Amino acid sequence: MRYDSITEAIGNTPLVRIDPAVHGLRNIDLYAKLEMLNPFGSVKDRPAWHMARPHLEGAAEGGGTVVELSSGNTAKALALLAGLHGLRFKSVTNRMRVPEIKELLLLLGAEIEELPGRSECLDPTDTDDPLTHFHQALTEPGSTYLHTDQYFNPRNVEAHAEGTGPEIVKDLDGRAPDWFVACVGTAGSSTGVARVLREHDPEVRVLGLVAHKSDFIPGIRTIDEVHQVGLFDPATYDTVESVTSGEAIDGMLTLIRRCGLLTGPTGGAAYQGAVRHLRDADAALEGSGRRESAVFIVCDRAESYLSYVRDRRPELLGRASRGPTLATLTDDEVRAGGRSAAVNEARHWITEGDPRPLVVDLRSPHAYAALHIEGSVNIVDELFEELVRGGLPFSKRTPVLLACPVGERSLRYAALLTRRGHPDVRSLAGGIVAWRDAGAPLVRE
Amino acid sequence: MDVPLYLRPRVDQPLASLLGAAPFLHSLADALGSPLNVLLPETVAANVERFRAVYRRHHLAGRVYFAHKANRSSSLVRRLAAAEPAAVGVDVASLEELRHALGCGFTGDRVMATGPKDPEFLWLAARVGATVNLDSLRELEQLAGLVREYGLGRVGVLLRLSGFECADHGGAGTRMLSRRSRFGTPVRDVEELLAAVERHADAVELTGLSYHLDTTGLEEKGRALEQCVLLMDKCRARGLAPRAVDIGGGFGVGYIADGEEWQRWTTALSEAVLGGRPPLTWRGHGYGLRNEGGTVRGSVALYPGHRPNAGPGYLDELLSLPAPVLGRGPGTLLLEHLHDLHIEPGRSLVDQCGLSLARVLEVRGTGEDATPYLVRLGMNAGDVSLEEHGVLMDPVLLPRGEPGKDDEGPVGVHLVGNLCLEADLITRRLVFLPRLPRAGDLLAFVNTAGYAMDFHAHHAQRQPLARTVAVEREGGSWRWCPDEDYWPITHPGGTPA
Repeated sequence: MRYDSITEAIGNTPLVRIDPAVHGLRNIDLYAKLEMLNPFGSVKDRPAWHMARPHLEGAAEGGGTVVELSSGNTAKALALLAGLHGLRFKSVTNRMRVPEIKELLLLLGAEIEELPGRSECLDPTDTDDPLTHFHQALTEPGSTYLHTDQYFNPRNVEAHAEGTGPEIVKDLDGRAPDWFVACVGTAGSSTGVARVLREHDPEVRVLGLVAHKSDFIPGIRTIDEVHQVGLFDPATYDTVESVTSGEAIDGMLTLIRRCGLLTGPTGGAAYQGAVRHLRDADAALEGSGRRESAVFIVCDRAESYLSYVRDRRPELLGRASRGPTLATLTDDEVRAGGRSAAVNEARHWITEGDPRPLVVDLRSPHAYAALHIEGSVNIVDELFEELVRGGLPFSKRTPVLLACPVGERSLRYAALLTRRGHPDVRSLAGGIVAWRDAGAPLVRE
Repeated sequence: MDVPLYLRPRVDQPLASLLGAAPFLHSLADALGSPLNVLLPETVAANVERFRAVYRRHHLAGRVYFAHKANRSSSLVRRLAAAEPAAVGVDVASLEELRHALGCGFTGDRVMATGPKDPEFLWLAARVGATVNLDSLRELEQLAGLVREYGLGRVGVLLRLSGFECADHGGAGTRMLSRRSRFGTPVRDVEELLAAVERHADAVELTGLSYHLDTTGLEEKGRALEQCVLLMDKCRARGLAPRAVDIGGGFGVGYIADGEEWQRWTTALSEAVLGGRPPLTWRGHGYGLRNEGGTVRGSVALYPGHRPNAGPGYLDELLSLPAPVLGRGPGTLLLEHLHDLHIEPGRSLVDQCGLSLARVLEVRGTGEDATPYLVRLGMNAGDVSLEEHGVLMDPVLLPRGEPGKDDEGPVGVHLVGNLCLEADLITRRLVFLPRLPRAGDLLAFVNTAGYAMDFHAHHAQRQPLARTVAVEREGGSWRWCPDEDYWPITHPGGTPA
């Protein structure tokens, strides 16, 4: 495979059969369309390229900025495509809820504008709607914005009607599957693919999956949100069902651990939603001698969603701890093993002690720079925790005074270091706050 | 008609037992008329305690200031005046609110003056030693002029800032937009403001920075808070000694008990706007949504009725956020920098603090399928301005006497007011009640103490304004007194507390 441009690698993704031993359907063959194998990593590579192509080719000399309301994969693909053509890309969104995606977009050189949250004091006459501003800016005379408009642009649907749909039919030896399952985001893939499949076989049943209303699955809209999508037409779907983030992660785990498919939560939701829905249909086929087939789309890959998984299933990403750590220290152990020094005692110790203690300020560098005890060193608590994980960072001959804002965390560290064998670690009682309130001197740098 | 679309309110104790005391509420309304506002001053103190618990969890010092405009009652303000002075203050936004707060027992040093300020308001605030939350450079100069002219003591001031999105600290390639505000000085002009504070150092003393963002978005608030911490450092570098960051209010209230009901209703609203089901509202009002070629456009102008995390919980979440620039949560940031935290919750401080009663005057069939009944109440939309604030909540039906055997089951009604105006609907939404009310029944709109109870009440057409009473539970029964006669040192009725 030799290409002149990465854009030629968009499309022609594999259709992989899921082992029946995994999904348990006896009469339905289930296939995954691996859109995650597109070069920029997702199903959105197709519409992004198809929508942007006319703009990019025309605008190459003129400069300008491609803009899209996107918080994820479309933004990613458009940012790369814009860069490839010497243009800038700006994403406008209020849904940038996955930190890795945001950071990835910044790495790709995208600009991100985050829309304000909802108003707390309702003003029914409010015309200061940020989306309205966005659309006004696009239409200003002399504007160099190229708006791909994925929620309303028919080329979004076309990309799938010309690519994804026909590829599925071809890989199924010229037949449409009996079922097509798609998560609904912009409704582009579901609408485009469903159109092609129905042209082949009007009996194809289309299942649209949306996120449970109070839940969040990246890339999928909730039932209310789909109504705001210009491309969404209820007639496309025989059924619309909702899935939860829990189901999405369950599906993701099954596909990753048992099928070798490195899918993200949207693919997981499609799989789990498909199996849940097809179970009844499968039972109805039992004994009829007929076999049916179903296709779902794996939209993108797992790597960008680690924090999403960490938030919802921390145990999946947990690390086992070794030896006594701050977290394993009980309150009783802290009380028994932590020595503290009151402000006056600490002041005396610092000026008259022999040897004088090393004063360690555990607050952040910015707070430390603003005001601190003269002569203290700053080791932020997070870093300090890493340091003491491996052992003692000070000589046992050096006494240590630990200081944090109110003397609570520093007491825990004092107890921990004492358990690790340091003979003289004390925590500043009441912390820097007590030090300040006692009128003891603080310096700034 | 399919399943009734209830939006039943969240009712905690002691408001729940008050609702259970229907004969007591009927006797109050019989004596004092409809509409009638009922307040629970003890609950406001309990709410302060919940906010203080969040302060303690984050080891933060500073004050909770009640935003007086949320409710004009005396009993609530007096109850707060009796709370711990170092922990509780009052935020006043007019001369009259200031006079009222002082008259209720607040000393000047516990008062924060905010909002648009006339010279009289500024002078009295300075005179009594209140802290002035300065809106602009001009206001600072006006205040300094008054201090000098009338020989007043130095006045503690906070600088109210806005326009945080314009600052440099947004991080690479990210810009967080915020709704534009009429109030405060843009962050980009802060140098000029600080220079003025220094110039007027004989008259004012900078005690902190403040902001109030009209948003439910935690990230926006967290970002503004972090920028204030960075600016506090700038102030210190100039030799000023501010100590407090005042983050305003907007912590919210969860009005609806059941999230599913809220979600079902809002989904149904979209469907109704698209024509997929009969309208849920009087004349098909869309609450800001409209149908454009089969797609819902516009944004829904409703208060987010079900908020799983509101009030103190929201503050806790805000203080626990990871901060974008300095990498520490706002709570840790404030603590490490030794700053006090001031907040000004209005609505959430009076959460569950009261209800508004209205007498059912007439029940009329309309002969239409979709909206079969009009229920006319002895109040108008100004007396319980839920609609004005986008708060949707079902009233609680308090029947007079036992329900009849032939009473219908769940029924959808439109609640109309006592004004001779087509627009006087208590709510534009079709409200479901467990059965059809009868003339003489009471409807209780609960949790109206924040902005809904008297914020828009008016004398139009000479309809009676609601009287307000304070109530307190004593054993199994309830005591009451007129709001203006309530003092926290005695029980309603005058016996020592």
